[in-house]
Amino acid sequence: MVNAETTISWVLRIGVTLSALILLLGVLLGENILWLGVLMLILTPFLRVFFAALYFLLHRDMRFFVITLYVILILVIGSLLKI
Amino acid sequence: MEIALYITIFLFGIFAGGLGATLGLGGGVLMILFFTLAINIPIHKAVALSLLAVIASSSMAGSVYVRDKMTNIRLAMILETCTVPGAVLGAFLALSLPGRFIEAILASVLLYAALVSFRQVKSEKTIFREDRLGIGGEYYDEAKKGMVRYSVDRLKEGLFASLLAGIVSGIVGIGGGIIKVPIMNFIMKIPIKASAATSNFMVGVTAAASAVVYFSKGVVDLQMAVPTVLGIMAGAYMGTRLLSQTQSPYLRILLAVVLIFFSIVLFLKSGGILVW
Repeated sequence: MVNAETTISWVLRIGVTLSALILLLGVLLGENILWLGVLMLILTPFLRVFFAALYFLLHRDMRFFVITLYVILILVIGSLLKI
Repeated sequence: MEIALYITIFLFGIFAGGLGATLGLGGGVLMILFFTLAINIPIHKAVALSLLAVIASSSMAGSVYVRDKMTNIRLAMILETCTVPGAVLGAFLALSLPGRFIEAILASVLLYAALVSFRQVKSEKTIFREDRLGIGGEYYDEAKKGMVRYSVDRLKEGLFASLLAGIVSGIVGIGGGIIKVPIMNFIMKIPIKASAATSNFMVGVTAAASAVVYFSKGVVDLQMAVPTVLGIMAGAYMGTRLLSQTQSPYLRILLAVVLIFFSIVLFLKSGGILVW
């Protein structure tokens, strides 16, 4: 099984590279694409939390799975909260 | 001249990303100072852009630290249960605070960072006790040519500090490593290298949790985000590959003096005494 470190390292690398490419594309194509690039950048750390949850679940490490799930919940609430 | 402004931001991003990687700072402190004092954009917009810079540099450094197994992922997840809600709270708090309050808070954080930088005595004393919580760790130390095992002391204080770091990060847009690393090292007795790597790992999520609030409220300037993010990335990339981490005490003291200077400037600006 692939270890957590390698997977998370790749998630971060791909996320950052992808957002840089989308931002560059956005310079040519306009605001909507720029918006997407910024969103991709913000989602990169979110994704790595998501993959950590998946890793803990696969390893039947339920305590850390629940802890990670709680962090995801707060992230989602923070994203959707409209005050 | 819009183009000239974007090029300036890009070049400063390279500088901040490179220096950040060399000094082990996230680059957030330099970016926020640049945006508020040099570019002179409203502080909320400056904080939002700085958060994006922090996400970019933290993710880039993070991918290397994590691959080299310096990061304690379990400990990071536990501390994130406090730092992430703090970061969300901080962002909402900041958006309801007037700009001069945020400038004053930033000035105080810089002063604290300067003090920490002055007495950069690292605690190398690590302990290894029974690891009840399963959050101790180990890593390969290049200098010692061997594995270093450690357990985590005083988790409660660590959780409280993480909450505080999250709130501060959400308000002033710096990521909060400057608060977390000394506490993890001195109080929780985690070796400095593991503290720095684990803190960097958390900083990305902390900044993202705040950034998404600024983003959904439309505070992120999309045009300025491009040179900011690309500049920081280029700087961090070069910084981690070309330069080695410096431990020079002179550089530390220079940094502390610079931070104190800008802290005073910001205090004066927030008090309305200094206007430009």
